[in-house]
Amino acid sequence: MSSLSSWIGLLTDPKTRDSYIHYVEQLEPQIGAFIQFDPRIGLKESLPEGPFKGVPFAVKDILAVKGFGLTCGSRILEGFVSPYTATAVEKLQRAGAVVVGKTNMDEFGMGSSTDTSFYKQTCNPWDLERVAGGSSGGSAAAVASGMVPFALGSDTGGSVRQPAAFCGIYGLKPTYGVVSRYGLVAYASSLDVVGICAASVEITEEVFSLIRGKDERDQTSLEETGASGIDGSYGKGANKIVQRIGFVSGNLGLDPGVERAYRKTQEVLRSLGYEVRPIELSMLEYYAPVYYTIATAEASANLARYTGIRYGYRPEYAENPEELVRKARSEGFGEEVKLRILLGTYVLRSGFQDQYYQRAQRIRTAIRKDFDRVFQEVDVILSPVFPTQAFKHGSEGLDPFQQKVADRFTTAANLAGIPALSFPAGLEEGLPVGFQLMAPVFGEELLFQVARKFAEEVPPLKAPSNTSPWS
Amino acid sequence: MELQELRITAALAYLDLEEEKFEKLQLAVEQMLQYFSKMMEVDIEGLSPTTHALVHENRTRPDQVFPFEDTDSLLENAPETEDRFIVIPNIL
Repeated sequence: MSSLSSWIGLLTDPKTRDSYIHYVEQLEPQIGAFIQFDPRIGLKESLPEGPFKGVPFAVKDILAVKGFGLTCGSRILEGFVSPYTATAVEKLQRAGAVVVGKTNMDEFGMGSSTDTSFYKQTCNPWDLERVAGGSSGGSAAAVASGMVPFALGSDTGGSVRQPAAFCGIYGLKPTYGVVSRYGLVAYASSLDVVGICAASVEITEEVFSLIRGKDERDQTSLEETGASGIDGSYGKGANKIVQRIGFVSGNLGLDPGVERAYRKTQEVLRSLGYEVRPIELSMLEYYAPVYYTIATAEASANLARYTGIRYGYRPEYAENPEELVRKARSEGFGEEVKLRILLGTYVLRSGFQDQYYQRAQRIRTAIRKDFDRVFQEVDVILSPVFPTQAFKHGSEGLDPFQQKVADRFTTAANLAGIPALSFPAGLEEGLPVGFQLMAPVFGEELLFQVARKFAEEVPPLKAPSNTSPWS
Repeated sequence: MELQELRITAALAYLDLEEEKFEKLQLAVEQMLQYFSKMMEVDIEGLSPTTHALVHENRTRPDQVFPFEDTDSLLENAPETEDRFIVIPNIL
């Protein structure tokens, strides 16, 4: 079982530090996990004493780390240097951990392959012809290839869990608000959370316990259970022993390999003593349309800040300020980002709001209520993460529309605000398959409980390219 | 979506769209809007909108100033500066 112990002190001893840097530098050209890899930045000052002293970790390039770039995978932020550090990152640094680099991602988190990055392609450590998933593909690939024991990502509709499943590692999307979003560049503010990619359940738990907690600098961040104003039917999940697991049933449209692994996973959980029974999520077919309506609407507002005036990409020449803004945005954003901004602008236009955005927000309430109902019957929910395993780069893979439809399983947790953990469940045809567990809000401990037990029976496997002596 | 609607939307979003990519983009937008129309099947009567997944009251804090010391690091990110001013094209 992969633990942090072999990584502690790695960067404080010059000898192990050099062999670590050598390991990453010889592997990185094949994997392409990092937009920027520079462990020296974090080692300039002496490290604080703490449980993570000298442990390297990576940060998705959508979270601010002072002294590092912050591109969000976009040309429009090329050359931007972060003036401050995100709260989640700062908490890990205070425990002695060291940011070694910023990981590749789909532009502004918009994608499921990391192929929409302006900067480079990230390859799956299990099969270099395949994608690592997205949008936190660089973070997942860095962990799966043994370059770091864990990496931070962001999950707006599955962006931590899906790449984790594609790369055979763990991916946690915490309860909305439990981890501060301060320093996380906004995509869709009511759905965004800071998430964790990690090599084991234990590491995921340790990192989560360090980065969680209310932050004065994020007004949407939450106290733990019992805070005022939080929906009363939630928040009763923590600190119990999981007995009943409901698996999402029905015709889910899974690839045969994923389907086989899904059934096997249910069997393993049964053999571990859980009561495993089918459940139906009555709103399942609406998750992705509701999600994309809300996410694009919020994105169109959040991305209005990129004007090329105060920071970021500026065109060669513009006649006047208005042309400057139009050119900066048109040349600085990629195709997928433009599509989502257009959709979001459209659904928010006067005359269309009721039909789209308002309607989506009201259906979101129905989705939350449906989860309330299901969590009366079962303690946690088992569901697919994605209908396919890691697909190939380029036209042989899924087209952008198919990728969006395929987000139907992951978007639920973001819409309902509940925690979800993607865990590795063995291989099918040589590639990893992952499934996710979902719990009521603040129920992260329930997810770890089941995943820990499952890993005793089906331990996570190392990718062929991972020859790291520390992982 | 009518082509004209897409042009209005693009103008609102400050995006210039290249003519040759227009058609492809129009199809992609159309496909997504079609997909969104699935939401019309749901009876939303009596459902209030969700804005924050968990918190249902407005949260306020005192209006306090916290100075950010390293203002140079902010200016260094500007594409073009003169002294401590950001340069943009002429307005008039």
